[in-house]
Amino acid sequence: MNPSLIIAAYSLLFLILFSVCLFGFIVIRRLVLERRKVQFDRLYMQIEKDILEAISLLDPDFSLGVARKYGRHPAVLTRVLLDFGDIIVGEGRDQLRIIFNQAIRGRCLRGVASRRTTKRLQSIRLFIIFFDPAESAFLFRLLDDKPIIKLAVINALARIPSPETMRQIFKAFEEDTGFTVQAYFNIIFGLGSRTEPLVKAFLNKPLPVDKLGLLVELVGAIPLRTLYEDVVALAGNPDKEIRIRVARTLGKLLIPETVDTLIALSSDGAWEVKAQAVKSLGRMKNLKTLDVLERSLFSPFWYVRYNAGYGLAEIGEEGVRRLKEVAGQEEDRYARDMSVMVLNDMIFPGEAA
Amino acid sequence: MSDVLHAILHSVNIVILIYFFLINAFYLLFTVLSLFGLFRHRELTTYISFKEIFRLPLVKPISIIAPAHNEEKTIIESVNSLLALEYPVFEVIVVNDGSTDQTLGTLIRSFQLEKSRRVFRKVVDHKPVKGIYTSPSHPKLVVVDKVNGKKADAMNAGLNISRYPLFCAVDGDSLLEKDALLKMVRPFLEDPEKTVAAGGVIRLSNCCMVKCGQVQEVRLPCNALARFQILEYFRAFLGGRIGMSMLKSMLIVSGAFGLFRKDIALQCGGYRAESIGEDMDLIVRMRRHLHNMKRPFEIRFIPDPICWTEAPETLKCLARQRNRWHRGLLDTLLHNKSMLFNPRYGITGLFAMPFYFLFEMLGPFIELLGYIMFAACLALGLVNYPFAVLFFLVAVVLGTLLSLLSILLGEYSSECYPRRQDILILTLFSLLENILYRQWLTLVRVLAFFDFYRGKEEWGAMQKKGFAQAR
Repeated sequence: MNPSLIIAAYSLLFLILFSVCLFGFIVIRRLVLERRKVQFDRLYMQIEKDILEAISLLDPDFSLGVARKYGRHPAVLTRVLLDFGDIIVGEGRDQLRIIFNQAIRGRCLRGVASRRTTKRLQSIRLFIIFFDPAESAFLFRLLDDKPIIKLAVINALARIPSPETMRQIFKAFEEDTGFTVQAYFNIIFGLGSRTEPLVKAFLNKPLPVDKLGLLVELVGAIPLRTLYEDVVALAGNPDKEIRIRVARTLGKLLIPETVDTLIALSSDGAWEVKAQAVKSLGRMKNLKTLDVLERSLFSPFWYVRYNAGYGLAEIGEEGVRRLKEVAGQEEDRYARDMSVMVLNDMIFPGEAA
Repeated sequence: MSDVLHAILHSVNIVILIYFFLINAFYLLFTVLSLFGLFRHRELTTYISFKEIFRLPLVKPISIIAPAHNEEKTIIESVNSLLALEYPVFEVIVVNDGSTDQTLGTLIRSFQLEKSRRVFRKVVDHKPVKGIYTSPSHPKLVVVDKVNGKKADAMNAGLNISRYPLFCAVDGDSLLEKDALLKMVRPFLEDPEKTVAAGGVIRLSNCCMVKCGQVQEVRLPCNALARFQILEYFRAFLGGRIGMSMLKSMLIVSGAFGLFRKDIALQCGGYRAESIGEDMDLIVRMRRHLHNMKRPFEIRFIPDPICWTEAPETLKCLARQRNRWHRGLLDTLLHNKSMLFNPRYGITGLFAMPFYFLFEMLGPFIELLGYIMFAACLALGLVNYPFAVLFFLVAVVLGTLLSLLSILLGEYSSECYPRRQDILILTLFSLLENILYRQWLTLVRVLAFFDFYRGKEEWGAMQKKGFAQAR
């Protein structure tokens, strides 16, 4: 028999077998998943009912009974505890902790060391929800794990805003590089104003531009109004990105003492800084800014004109008067068109109301 | 003479065989990579709550640009779907690209639009704008009425009018899932400097039940052509693009649903007005620009966010669509031919562009050559019948296997069809598509090549049925 024929025949046989197995696998997988889902949902509802009872009774013995009853179904119990652990606080969570400690704590300890990332993430989340201060050293050790686990731990640690956990989070922020840096913004933002001393300390540290920029943004986002002087000090930073963020942050803090800094930034060499400074000046609703905003309407940069127009509109009556003046002049049609558009936009919401 | 002919035929056959194995090896490689990619994506998203993204202060606002040309049957559902999206700050810019039907009138009536005196920066060129409309009742909606150009021209008008730093390109006849933008924006949050574009999954809405701009019930299309296309979309999006994205070689972010950084798109001059496949063209030019600037970048494919679109259900419409797609591919590759095999463009020049050139652009010719060679050998009595039959069966089963693998990917990515018998139907269609449908598409793509060289510019309008309404 021709060798090419043999190869073709064997290839065909192999492909048919593989395809049939794959088809079988897809169908069986679907069947198993559907069946498992029905069982899961049924059990979930049962556990949910008992857990709600445990939360309302606040009886540790009852909670222990629930833990013993469902200890043989750790997957479903884990799911329920994850769902409820996030929303139940106070004494109710203590009951959940009893169930967790009794039924699945050991399993979660093994899960933390699992090769499967999802399992590790799930276990870490449970440990954090039912955090025991005595276990903090164990959690901090996980900060040396791979980035995704580290981020999950930090994310979870942010739920326990003790001075020690916050110190650990900022330490990790200082050490980390790459895409995770952005994630710290969300984590630190969630911690709110209690981060103020640490943010202040870090603003005065020599940090890379991306990290410094994030901290400046944080000051405006939380907001940490008492740190405005630290932010103003960065207005002369040689990096354009930092100056943009300073201008944006000052527009969020709305401290009257920062108007002069914003006015100075509105004549920055970079148009992006100018545009942001003008936008923030509009938000200040300070009559001192009227001339700057009106002048900015004649800027050669579209975004500066745009922000100046809406800035004047935000100031109110006097701003609108200036807009009408610019809309009536003929020398600069770009400034005129922008003013007309802003005035037009102001009419619209009025009509809708 | 006969020996020479014999030798030539034999050599060509060998080349075709090698080509066949190479192309299938690549597709298998992409599918395996996609499987890993999907698992990794699932791991990454286990602890991410997309609702949390909603309240993050760093989330960048998005301008959704939807060009519409003669979309009167679907435009209202599409705009409703866009306005109902869950995202902190966004605007919807519908560009009515010189429709000759009632697209604009329907929009004006349904959303109580009024003419606005909005001014905009004309950073990129486009055909004149006849009017800009805004709605007091839907402040996020802006409708631009302009003189007819191509889709790229309409996108450029939308780009100029948009206000936000990210823009999302969607088709005027598409429906987005409510959390699609939240999912799509994730790479832009994780790495705002490097991420320049991201694409999502496109699925076919034929026969699905739609209510308030959202797909309520997923159904397999009743039309056979649409079913073949489901398999093609599965292979292209779940098999191909996840794999290409993992190899950092994605050259297409679908024009039906893609998220881009506006500054980078504008630096490249926006969409090339005369391009036929504007989506691929933009990505290739973005890649070229960023390589030239020596800036590190990422173009990501996210398997989660879903956009629903209507597939053509007649041979004529499908032929027109595929003809345009292939002309678009040719246009983009030839327009950027300096990148081909050019080490200056890294993996784009050394792998992505050559792959598209050899396997996507030349693929139909090689396939057609295979059929011609078979016919020639048949005429000359040179056919080894047992081998020919076996080879044909291997090709059919291999094609089916690739489709089955993409169905499996669909199952893992929860983009499967809900009824069990759908798996069986899709498997059956994956067998059937190798007979006639595949050969017909090859012919359509070969003819597109000649149309391209004749300078055909026809867009390939599609007859829309509109979305099936759920009660």
